[in-house]
Amino acid sequence: MNELRDLFDGLVADIDAVFLFSPSMSNFEALTEGDSTVVVVGPENTVDADHFVELPIDFTDLEGRVRFGIEGALNQELVEQGDEVVCVSGFMDGAANAIARIQTNDFSPSGVYDLFVNSRAEPGVVRDVFEVAVELGKKGQKGKPVGALFVVGDAGKVMNKSRPLSYNPFEKSHVHVGDPIVNVMLKEFSRLDGAFVISDAGKIVSAYRYLEPSAEGVDIPKGLGARHMAGGAITRDTNATAIVLSESDGLVRAFKGGELVLEIDPEEY
Amino acid sequence: MQSLPDWPEFIRTLFSPQGTFVVSLVVLGIGLLVGFLVWRAARQFMQEMGVPEAVEGTPFERTARSLGTSTVGIVSNLAALFVYIIAITVALNIAQLVQPEAYWTRFTAFLPNLFIAVFAIIIGLIAGDKAKLVVSERLRSVKLPEATVIPELVKYSIFSLAVLIALGQLGVATMALLILLAAYAFGLVFITGLALKDLLAASAAGIYLLLTEPYSIGDEVVIGDQRGIVQEVDMFVTRVENDGQEYIIPNQQVMQDGIVRVRD
Repeated sequence: MNELRDLFDGLVADIDAVFLFSPSMSNFEALTEGDSTVVVVGPENTVDADHFVELPIDFTDLEGRVRFGIEGALNQELVEQGDEVVCVSGFMDGAANAIARIQTNDFSPSGVYDLFVNSRAEPGVVRDVFEVAVELGKKGQKGKPVGALFVVGDAGKVMNKSRPLSYNPFEKSHVHVGDPIVNVMLKEFSRLDGAFVISDAGKIVSAYRYLEPSAEGVDIPKGLGARHMAGGAITRDTNATAIVLSESDGLVRAFKGGELVLEIDPEEY
Repeated sequence: MQSLPDWPEFIRTLFSPQGTFVVSLVVLGIGLLVGFLVWRAARQFMQEMGVPEAVEGTPFERTARSLGTSTVGIVSNLAALFVYIIAITVALNIAQLVQPEAYWTRFTAFLPNLFIAVFAIIIGLIAGDKAKLVVSERLRSVKLPEATVIPELVKYSIFSLAVLIALGQLGVATMALLILLAAYAFGLVFITGLALKDLLAASAAGIYLLLTEPYSIGDEVVIGDQRGIVQEVDMFVTRVENDGQEYIIPNQQVMQDGIVRVRD
């Protein structure tokens, strides 16, 4: 067992910070007594930690969670580029059973933290739209897979860079994405062609929009269709965020500044 | 109640001294029975009105619970006690066991007022606590330390009202207190009105703008000196953006200045 312990000691030696993912109170208290920075990552700050990164969605894969936590901590300047950190997290439905040592510049930042926290739209709105897209991806429309394109934030500019395909069903309505009826409503409207436009505060401004951005210099992975291209391009021209549900592979992707920042599989939620 | 002193006299003229004593015992028995019936009826009535659920969680109820009773129990016991005391005094008067003139008769006449005063205090305590709970529940989303003052203010306003009613029942001169309360209420209304003047005007205009939507998100408008694209309209403000500058315009100003919609 000694070799194993040595290996373990080597893993946690000389670290700058500890990342705890949804820790229990006792674990947290025991660790704060040490001298390294403790950063708590979770959907809620249940332990009243000083350094806290909020997880807006429930990442099921460990990498996504770790990536989000570290990017969030970098963004809040809790840790610095090049710091060595140890992440303690639950793996495969366990509680705090996995330990990983990661250098913060081991990976290039994907902007996933930026997507939720520093978007033009309110973080809650981005999260709500994300949940609607995931829900739609899971269930589809009457069992068949559907595609959908949501453009969130900077709605005035988006409206000026798009044109209506038909009458806007949301005209003079006051529907917000957090409202309970919205999931059903958007599911029904998702069989319409075109994009949904959602304002900074979450009001659904329009459906049936044909986006007309200039697609010049938009770099999205090859193989994605016109819906993704339109979504990616509109985020380059405006400060909006695009959340796209693919009809062909069922993945939910988010674009910001013309780049793909997040890709998740709805089935894993 | 004023005719009460005459009744014992009348009964004493009708019966012999022994008969009077029996009558007084009968009156006492009836009084005890009526008291019990009042106690049961009050209990049942309050239970059916949903009083136990309504007072749940208020400090008064909690205090009552810790004393091994409940609000319903206290009020119904009070009502029964009131009937018992009346029965006992009437019986004593009839039997002439005590000097009837001075003290007891006036006490009987005063009893209902006392009962109402106690009742007003109990209702005031419960209503005050309940109102505080409701208000603080509403204000929970407002995470300001100053916001906790408002529920307390509501609570003590209701307490003072209850105390005033009780004192009025007991015949204490409450004129000065009443004037104080009036000044306080006026000040409260006046100051909140003054503080919320702009917000009220903005929301009145905002309701019109939201209902009729003379302009909507994405339109280019000129409001006063500001020209830009509408980004958001809510109850209080309209956000207009132009070249990276976002103007947040109060809705009453939108109504005052008028709106120019730019169409090209």
